[in-house]
Amino acid sequence: MQASRAAQDLFEQHGAAVYRFATVLLHHQQDAEDVVQETFLKLLHHLTAGGDATNLRGWLFTVAAHAARDRQRRRARWIPWAQVHDPRVAPPQLPDEDGRLRAARAALHRLPNRDRLLLALRAQELSYRDIAVASGIRPSSVGRLLARALDRWGRECSSTAPAGPGQKIKTERHGLI
Amino acid sequence: MKCLNDAQIQAIVDREAGDDVRQHAESCGHCGDRVRGRQALAAAAVEAINAPSGIPPDFSRRVHFALSEGSNPGATRLRATVARGGSSRPALWTVAAVTAATLIAVLFVAPIVKGPATVSASEILAKSASRLAERVTGIESLEYELVLDGMTREMMPDHENGTYRMKQVIDHDTAGRYLLATYDPSGALVSSIVQDPAANRRVVSARVEDVPYRFEFTLPDNVTLSPPELERLHMGASVAMMQASGNQQLQVIEGAAGRQYRIEVPHVSAESSGAVWDLAEAQVVIDADDYHIVAFAVKGTFLKQPYSLSYRLINRTIAAGTAVQPGLFDLPQDPGAITIKGEGTAIPARDVLVSALGELARARQARQ
Repeated sequence: MQASRAAQDLFEQHGAAVYRFATVLLHHQQDAEDVVQETFLKLLHHLTAGGDATNLRGWLFTVAAHAARDRQRRRARWIPWAQVHDPRVAPPQLPDEDGRLRAARAALHRLPNRDRLLLALRAQELSYRDIAVASGIRPSSVGRLLARALDRWGRECSSTAPAGPGQKIKTERHGLI
Repeated sequence: MKCLNDAQIQAIVDREAGDDVRQHAESCGHCGDRVRGRQALAAAAVEAINAPSGIPPDFSRRVHFALSEGSNPGATRLRATVARGGSSRPALWTVAAVTAATLIAVLFVAPIVKGPATVSASEILAKSASRLAERVTGIESLEYELVLDGMTREMMPDHENGTYRMKQVIDHDTAGRYLLATYDPSGALVSSIVQDPAANRRVVSARVEDVPYRFEFTLPDNVTLSPPELERLHMGASVAMMQASGNQQLQVIEGAAGRQYRIEVPHVSAESSGAVWDLAEAQVVIDADDYHIVAFAVKGTFLKQPYSLSYRLINRTIAAGTAVQPGLFDLPQDPGAITIKGEGTAIPARDVLVSALGELARARQARQ
């Protein structure tokens, strides 16, 4: 009962962040919801079993990242009869009047899965060590791969960024976009 | 110290760099500019990733419910208690029976469960049964989760897990035109069947020991009930059995999908009835708006073999019949598949077996 209460409290604290994280990774609302639910049910089991509670935020994103990766693999193998049977659900509309955020998020979805995962994990302020665990890469490679992912994202943004002041993202090597 | 590489610049931005690296960036104008440029880029990425998008309230309620319930969401709840023991044997009528099986359900609708309602369970079941019997027009697409155990599980070609995701499309305006696909939990296609009387074609595909097979048949003059129609009949019959029971328990559920009725019958048929088909327990969740079945679960015996079945509807859409897309009722060709062609009968499973044996005999003759 105590574990259940704790899991619900953690869901209140981190549920929205995990949901956003899963949505960014999967671009599929139903799959994202599945990942979130699976993650917090695993958290409940983890707490019930007396698991380590020292870094639960990192733990949550690691579990969510693994669940999302499983979903991506399943989706890759899923053979829809026709596209009409496998509709991608557009993410909810954001308060993004100028289209800048929308373009930036669209650019994220054009990145390879690993790049998107690394950027999404870093956006949760996870340490390189936690990112390495969640993404399954060596800790010593995290910085290099993150830098590349960020550069790729910047290039993607520059190829589609809307024009106009206040909508520019400064990149290190590519100037204003 | 030489100027920093990209990983070191990134590490500074991420507050993961060592002292020597940070000190260099502070003393080197070029590297300092790079750090600031990368900080701006990273901030923009974080903003895009963490852009405020709230968690859907109904989903939040479902998760809270699942966490308060303890665990085990989903349609597998009956599986833990399904009767075991007794022999089970695969049978030729498998496909029809199993697809018909698609009916069951333990539900994990999570929402808020209210107390007993004044509306009659029998009345709801009757309306649901009437709806099942109603004529539908257009193209109906269903996606659902199916969990099998006992006899029905043994009958599936891959019965390691017993959990499947099904996709079904029925053209209600063209008799006998449908497709039915079965996926395992990993999303891999287990088997599929497509029938299109307009093209005089039925195609069955399956993968056995990693070898893909494709069976193409012409259709007989009289096409009998399709698996989706059998499913519908089986569900209707089960609901009728529940309706006949005097021990229905009804709950009204107010959830994300609106009001639903959950009806449970702890024991449907008499003990030791010796009936061909005997339901020990049954549960159904019915949408209160149009009385369609959202989830369904039964356990019992068929031909004295224990089985359980649970069904949870994931998606259901109906489109106008004029909107049939080219290729919708066809299977994509797998270049590596062994293709066998023949004349079909009313029983797809029989056709597959007979045509496969025929090919085997021809292959043997060719070797001699």
